[in-house]
Amino acid sequence: MFENHVIRHLSAYHHGEIPPDEAVRIEAHLRTCERCRSANEQVQLGARLASALSVSKAPADMWIGVNRAHPVSSRRRWRVVLASTAVAAALLFVIFIRSHAPAGSSWEVTGVPGMPRLRPGEMLQTGSTSEAQIKIANIGQLTIDRNTRIRLLVTEPDQHRIALDRGRVEATTWAPPRLFIVETPSATAVDLGCKYALEVEDDGSSLLHVTLGLVALERGSRETIVPAGAFCRTRAGTGPGTPFFEDSSTRLQSALEQVDSLAEGPERTRQLQVVLGESRVRDALSLWHLLPRLDMQSRGLIYDRLAQLLPAPPDVTRDGIIALDPKMLDAWKKIVSQLWQ
Amino acid sequence: MTKHTIDDGTIEACQRGDSEAFRLVFEAYKDRVYSIGLCFFDGNEAAAKDITQEVFLKLMTTISQFQNRSEFSTWLYRLVTNACLDRKRALRRFLFFTDSRELELPDPRRSTEDRYIQREIEHSVRKVIAGMKPKLRMAVLLKYFEDLSYDEIAAALACSKGTVASRLNRAHRILARKLGHLRSALAAGE
Repeated sequence: MFENHVIRHLSAYHHGEIPPDEAVRIEAHLRTCERCRSANEQVQLGARLASALSVSKAPADMWIGVNRAHPVSSRRRWRVVLASTAVAAALLFVIFIRSHAPAGSSWEVTGVPGMPRLRPGEMLQTGSTSEAQIKIANIGQLTIDRNTRIRLLVTEPDQHRIALDRGRVEATTWAPPRLFIVETPSATAVDLGCKYALEVEDDGSSLLHVTLGLVALERGSRETIVPAGAFCRTRAGTGPGTPFFEDSSTRLQSALEQVDSLAEGPERTRQLQVVLGESRVRDALSLWHLLPRLDMQSRGLIYDRLAQLLPAPPDVTRDGIIALDPKMLDAWKKIVSQLWQ
Repeated sequence: MTKHTIDDGTIEACQRGDSEAFRLVFEAYKDRVYSIGLCFFDGNEAAAKDITQEVFLKLMTTISQFQNRSEFSTWLYRLVTNACLDRKRALRRFLFFTDSRELELPDPRRSTEDRYIQREIEHSVRKVIAGMKPKLRMAVLLKYFEDLSYDEIAAALACSKGTVASRLNRAHRILARKLGHLRSALAAGE
């Protein structure tokens, strides 16, 4: 009878995850039911196929990366700092704006005397010889460098948002993407699951360095995706610049900065040609982000170089890319974006 | 398949911040965590490396809160599962997977021909697994890379044991349907 079929139990039966009396019933049923016997053969074959999976060796250099970011190391450093420091404590000052702070969730703070928690609406500022550690709710950790000022804007289950007014923070998160957001004067950094450092200068410009995962820098309709191993500058008034990998040539980096800051004209075209000439396949990251930001003539030059580095799919044309055809951009992006995955 | 176990002393040492103990944990689990990431992301080595680093960073950051030592590997694989699923969600807009890379750690007892057959079968299995829904995929990887019990997989995936059984059942039958033509090659390679 239908209710006696055992198909849904067959994998558990195969793996010995069925109580003995139930296993006996399944065995008896398989002897008489062709349908379940056929399904059992499928499960057995699937299990044999899956057993073909073998372990791959992790890259040998991985421990170095993990150890470098090891929070224990920084905790030990922090103990040394604490131990040496009545003087440092004197230089550390913290500003509370408690009168405007609503009740509710707060973040645990370490290393700031008199400030065990940071609440929405409060500001934390470190001094010239002090650092602080903050737990971003249950989704990550934030290291606040010296001479840094942050404000906690929101901490809710679906969003945690701070403002970084000046100074430098290092963030490590293990949350779903777009849950942790840092506002700076020139752009908003949206965490896509990663580890990164973000520094804001007094003029409001900033520098982002991603070491794990991805970060999106946003301002208005402009979005820049910065993957692990890449930097991106932002400028007050113009927002995110063009990302570049840390191992790109210094000539490329310097010319890219010029392209980002110059207005359309012969000098910008000259700098663009330096960028194109210096680009390796990996630097398609930069070229891809430049594409929609420059004029049509520049887009043609970028297309030509990008197509040499990473040939476009057959249905993607030069004219289409210059016109920023969304379908063609999307088709090519699938190839180009492999580089930063 | 050998299961890795880390003794209570090592975990306690990790909780005290002993970096050598962390190194032991890392060495014990790194290949399996990396392999799960590699298979989950269809051979994307950079993604697998990121996942492995992220998992161990998270482990190091939170191990002081870990209480029930008998469930260490379940906890670890929950971190792996979350990391893989989160990253997949994060990269939905950007990911374009490359083909699986050459597989490592060949069994030296096999002949060259056997190894070739085995590698081809494994390549095909990986491709089919990569095409499964993420939750199905992760159940298969935890079963076949770490040989976790259904209870342990259920704990890692935050679902019931029955759901694990159902997911593995579906996964096995998908593999059989799509790779039925490899039945004789499988027998030859065994």
